[in-house]
Amino acid sequence: MAEYEGDDHRSDATGRGRRQFLKLTGTATGAVSLVGCASNSDESTYEREGSIPDPKTYTVDELFSLEEWRGSGPLIDDRPSEYTGRSMLDLPDLRGELTVYLGGGEGGLYANLMKRVQNTYQDFIVNIREAPSSQLANTISEEVNAGQSPADIFWAIDAGSIGIVAENDATVSLPDHLVSEIPDTYHPTDQWVGVMGRARSIPYNTEEFSESEIPNDILTFAQDSRFNNAMGWAPTYGAFQAFVTAMRLIDGESEARQWLNGMQEQGVNTYDNELVVANRVASGELSAGFSNHYYSRLVFEERPNAPIDLAFTQGDAGALVNCSGTEIIKNTANETLAVDFIHHLLSIEAQEFLATRGYEYPLLPSVPPIGDLPTIDELNPPDFDLSQLADLEPTLQLMREVGAL
Amino acid sequence: MSVGDRLVSRFDRGETDGYPTGLTLLSGAIAAVVLSPIVWIVMRVLQVDTDYALSIVARPMTVEILLTSLGLVAAVTGASICIGVPLAFLTVRTDLPFRRFWTIAVALPLVIPSYLGAFTFISAFGPGGQLANALAPLGIESIPPVYGFWGTTLVLTLYTYPYVFITTRASLLSFDQQLVEAARTLGTTRWRAFRRVTLRQLLPGIASGSLLVALYTLSDFGTPSLMRLDVFTRVIFVEYNAFGRETAAMLSLQLLAITAVILSIESRIGDSSRGAYVGTGASSGSDTTVSLGAWKAPALAFCTSIVFLCLVVPLAVLTHWLVRSPSQATRQGVGFQWQFAINSVSVSLAAAIVCAAAAVPVAYLAARHRSRLSELFDRMTYVGYAMPGIVLGLALVFFAVYYESSVGDLLLFGVDVTPTLYQTLPLLIFAYVIRFLPQAVGSTRSSVLRVDRSLTEAARTLGRTPAGAFRRITLPLIAPGVIGGAALVFLTTMKELPATLVLHPTGFETLVTYIWSVRESGYYGFAAVPALVLIVVSGLSMVVILSQEE
Repeated sequence: MAEYEGDDHRSDATGRGRRQFLKLTGTATGAVSLVGCASNSDESTYEREGSIPDPKTYTVDELFSLEEWRGSGPLIDDRPSEYTGRSMLDLPDLRGELTVYLGGGEGGLYANLMKRVQNTYQDFIVNIREAPSSQLANTISEEVNAGQSPADIFWAIDAGSIGIVAENDATVSLPDHLVSEIPDTYHPTDQWVGVMGRARSIPYNTEEFSESEIPNDILTFAQDSRFNNAMGWAPTYGAFQAFVTAMRLIDGESEARQWLNGMQEQGVNTYDNELVVANRVASGELSAGFSNHYYSRLVFEERPNAPIDLAFTQGDAGALVNCSGTEIIKNTANETLAVDFIHHLLSIEAQEFLATRGYEYPLLPSVPPIGDLPTIDELNPPDFDLSQLADLEPTLQLMREVGAL
Repeated sequence: MSVGDRLVSRFDRGETDGYPTGLTLLSGAIAAVVLSPIVWIVMRVLQVDTDYALSIVARPMTVEILLTSLGLVAAVTGASICIGVPLAFLTVRTDLPFRRFWTIAVALPLVIPSYLGAFTFISAFGPGGQLANALAPLGIESIPPVYGFWGTTLVLTLYTYPYVFITTRASLLSFDQQLVEAARTLGTTRWRAFRRVTLRQLLPGIASGSLLVALYTLSDFGTPSLMRLDVFTRVIFVEYNAFGRETAAMLSLQLLAITAVILSIESRIGDSSRGAYVGTGASSGSDTTVSLGAWKAPALAFCTSIVFLCLVVPLAVLTHWLVRSPSQATRQGVGFQWQFAINSVSVSLAAAIVCAAAAVPVAYLAARHRSRLSELFDRMTYVGYAMPGIVLGLALVFFAVYYESSVGDLLLFGVDVTPTLYQTLPLLIFAYVIRFLPQAVGSTRSSVLRVDRSLTEAARTLGRTPAGAFRRITLPLIAPGVIGGAALVFLTTMKELPATLVLHPTGFETLVTYIWSVRESGYYGFAAVPALVLIVVSGLSMVVILSQEE
């Protein structure tokens, strides 16, 4: 049994209308047993009450206790006063039980969000199973191969794992109203939809470089002598491999090979994960590195005055914005409930929750990223179909051949 | 006729009860069940396109990986013997100060998951690591790189040598010193006596510990992948990450072939000296403690440096992380709960009990009724031990889901009574049994060999049935070996990660799954508390193992 935050107030509200209940309990969150799932999944009786509302513009006061969903700290001072999309208040009530396979899971933040949604309703339980996303993708493929997966929803931190499950014909199409607010880039097929964006970035030490000195072309890092013995990367890390996959598919294999070789000739330092890269940039051991954008935020959590800032390349693989995504597993008995649940993850409140606490990019366009992060549009990511990130095998082969892995 | 030969002939003489059919069938069934995941591997391999399969098997990289894997197994096993045997000798036979303390302390690294060891090691000694930074002002510019072959060998050795230590120690404790004295009286030289008697007596113990080390090295993927060494398991893992399940299955099959070779090598060593297990009784009271004299200081330094590297370094690094963790960890999900420890202990205990029960028939048959068949069943139980956890996990996912969807709904008076299997504790425990049964089999087998056969014969003469004689005479005598084996299973189950992640019931968090999830979130410091709990709880059970020997 896992306990997420807060106490269980749900029983206090028996018999009250949901809207009233929501207003009364605010962000009631709770400890709920995760044991004993699956048993009811065959006899789901969920029927949507009401309908999915059209998106509209809300002021902060019209939303569901937004300040409770938001994180804290100085970065939330300049959040907007209006948002466009759907509020959790207007979405259909959730009733029943769902099993979500959570790949990666951002260290519990995604699980926390789902628990909060669960505790907003009286008769809704979400069972969460966490493991590395590629492992869950393999597991779901085996399950569907052998019979029925216990999972209703797969939510993974990388589009590659989501994509491979869809490719293995293990998912169902999502309805238009679910994906309509999310830019096409983040639902390249009707089988899955992105939830939060994760941008590739160049963290640099502000005592070593000024912003204008960081090239806006990823290829330059492998050629310019200023980056000799100054850079760090984490080639075993999934997000980095996704970036190389993008480079291989956008620029071609020989270009990618040349870049990897060039970086190695530059004496790039290798680390296990990108948090370490960001930390080493902050400590001055590295002048710059390659990492997902939110790791520099995590460095600030530990050292608020760390001399680190982020730069982004323009329009190439170095500016890839990968995403976490959700899909509904084939033959689930809870398809409608699963759709309505994913709607909650894409609601203004949930997007605000993840943006302000985990520093990822909200994919609902009206919710801005935190602090001074450029918006996704300002980022200028490459024109690239994220489904293709499932094509990982040749990337690993390439990285092994050049000795980067 | 040498002492060893005489012992063997005495052992062989006892075959009076004929061949036990029931026991053979039971033992064969247990062996077949633990081998069943191979069926899944073969199924997946058959899905690979033949040309593609050949191109993978024949590519130069596969040969390179094969050589690296074999080299690593040899290096780790050799190094473990070099550390484990002297430590066993020091703690059993010499006047080393604080022997009891050292006995526990040098066995404790067994309970630290090697991936955690590797992780803290890189953090301390890696480029820009804490220790590397601490040494820099002293003029030590660069310490040898921790990554690669030697780094992997070092870390794996430090966390697996206790297998050799524990089995050698058991052999030394039951070693009959009078045999050496007898040989010396008969005019044998000291060196010859050592070779013909002492070594013969210790070899099976060393060999059975080394086998566990070798197979662990072959199947561990955490350490090589953190230390960036391309061995079979790392490549298998990379294939799974790239969704190449079929290719991964094929590489797993190659891995199992290597396992079979290692098993047959160990069988030969075991064969040549199998009789050596039969002492005249462990409690031959001759006082043969060796005085260390001037060697006391180097011996203490040896023990201290091993304990420093295996226990102090990882604990210090974890504590350092804990202190450095941000107070407001926004991405942190669940706080540590004692329930995780309770969950870990209860599944590990269940796995230990089931393994002990399953090990007795297999080990008894192999020890008492030696034949090609009993030998084969015994060896078969080792195969699962060398199967990477992720492979085993996915095989059981397939079987359990397939079973559940093909059995349909069993209705009894309108109530659905279909037993569920997938993502239940029994399936998880079954996976642990497949992985760790040989640890119980090995320990039980050697304890059966040590039981004086004339005792059971006496009981039979006095009218006991074979089963009755087993219950009243053999079982009490082999109990320490069975419990010792169960405790080893308990310890390795406590730290098992890959199969646990795949198969645990949803919501059933254990210490290692918790360590995994906080590590994943980047808050390494939060791993300190569960890691400490893991070490303390496992350390307590270490005390149980070692108390069985006395």
